Amino acid sequence: MKSRGQLPALHFDKMGYQFDWGVIIREPYWRWLLNGFIKTLILGSISWGIALFLGIIVGTIRTLPAKTARAIGKAYVEFFRNIPLLVQLFFWYYVIPPMIGQWFNRMESLPWIMAIFGLGVYTASRVAEHFRSGLNSVPKGQRQAGLSTGLSNWQLYRYIIIPYGFRLMIPPITTEFLTIFKNSALAMTIGVLELSGQSYKIGTWTFHSFESITAAVIGYLLIGLSIIGFMGWVEEKLKIPGLVGRG
Amino acid sequence: MANEKETLIKIDEVGKWYEDVQALDGISMEIDRKDVVVICGPSGCGKSTLLRCINGLEEFEEGDVIVDGVSVREVRGTKNIYKLRSKIGMVFQHFELYPHLTALENVTLAPKKVFNMSKKEARQKGMELLERVGIPEQADQKPGELSGGQQQRVGIARAIAMDPQTIMFDEPTSALDPEMIRDVLEVMADLAKEGLTMIVVTHEMGFAKEVADEIAFMENGNIVEHNDVETFFKNPESERAKEFVDRVLVHI
Ligand SMILES: Nc1ncnc2c1ncn2[C@@H]1O[C@H](COP(=O)(O)OP(=O)(O)O)[C@@H](O)[C@H]1O
Ligand SMILES: [Mg+2]
Repeated sequence: MKSRGQLPALHFDKMGYQFDWGVIIREPYWRWLLNGFIKTLILGSISWGIALFLGIIVGTIRTLPAKTARAIGKAYVEFFRNIPLLVQLFFWYYVIPPMIGQWFNRMESLPWIMAIFGLGVYTASRVAEHFRSGLNSVPKGQRQAGLSTGLSNWQLYRYIIIPYGFRLMIPPITTEFLTIFKNSALAMTIGVLELSGQSYKIGTWTFHSFESITAAVIGYLLIGLSIIGFMGWVEEKLKIPGLVGRG
Repeated sequence: MANEKETLIKIDEVGKWYEDVQALDGISMEIDRKDVVVICGPSGCGKSTLLRCINGLEEFEEGDVIVDGVSVREVRGTKNIYKLRSKIGMVFQHFELYPHLTALENVTLAPKKVFNMSKKEARQKGMELLERVGIPEQADQKPGELSGGQQQRVGIARAIAMDPQTIMFDEPTSALDPEMIRDVLEVMADLAKEGLTMIVVTHEMGFAKEVADEIAFMENGNIVEHNDVETFFKNPESERAKEFVDRVLVHI
């Protein structure tokens, strides 16, 4: 009886596939991989910064008393979260630049700019939803307590509701943080050679995609595990005693 | 002269609805400076709502509240409402401490942010207040690590941190274990001696008898009887207050 693990190997043998793990540490390919890895880090981190910043603003707007503010926040969220991310990237990369002007359309870093922007504004819509539900989970009495001491509405949000709500949404935010790096692989479709793009390219140049894609898998795993570790640390630091399991 | 009664808070025919539930029904009441007024009445009669209308946490449709000459209706929606609120401390049934901050930070947040008090100064003041309510050792603990009685004392320290002239208590001991109730009531009695104006929603009639100057009995969003303590317990004017007194006195 054959074990399942032997099947691909047999198949590879028939095609004459020879493993060559050296590919991924050979010139110039290891440089390509490293370059892709760094690009993935930068792409994910900057767009995460945008997503957090915008998401906190939009999420907060969605909890304000003013009806128009809430409607604007809702429109933002519904727009970005209901269109496939891939289509959004195409939209930002192919549709918008020519409308802005040829100088912009011809910019060398256009794929980068649009990938970061597209990932950022899309993920912001998801962050906003988590943020909103985090803020709404803050007990009403906190508002009364804060205002009764003379804090302004802004101070109430800044020092009580947002820090409290933020702690309640660390688990879903960790998921979004992970997802933005996974989604960043889509940037290769608009010409950003990040980790997936580079490993794909190495595959087409050397016919050793098995090895190069394995390298990418390890790269993504490294990033993912680091994020989980980091967010676990943040959660521990910000832990609210007595609130375990309630949020 | 100094002994003259002077109205500090005037509640003037306040009406308040939640959708179509009427919570306050044209209620009027005057509270004198440095008086301790206990408000009691059945659950749902509008006691909490009344307190929230006094400092403008809740909007009301009819009437007005005048606090030390300032109309809540007029300052509502302006920055002056913050100033009015900072002169009225508030203590809650479920404490409502900020769980992510330490006891000391709970107390010093408002002085730091509203008065721009320096960290050092705020810390010093916060420690003084925590000593006053008897829990300086718990300064660096978070609310979740404190007992109910300790939490409520932090709540009181927070409410007086802005040096208010009035402090409102909304059933401050009804979520506490019996052995902790006395500690909190003692802290409140001390505050009364120091000349704070106090509005206390409570059913602790022992406290009312010993500390309060006046008692108001509410029902269905209005005052049924508002009298000095002695009259209220000995010769209540209204039948409802009489029944209430009989019922609660059995319980003490
Ligand atoms: N936030 C609210 N929304 C709707 N109805 C409320 C709200 N708060 C209080 N009420 C209603 O208003 C009435 C008075 O409530 P409340 O002031 O809490 O009474 P008490 O403090 O005397 O128990 C009750 O009928 C209550 O159900
Ligand atoms: Mg109440």
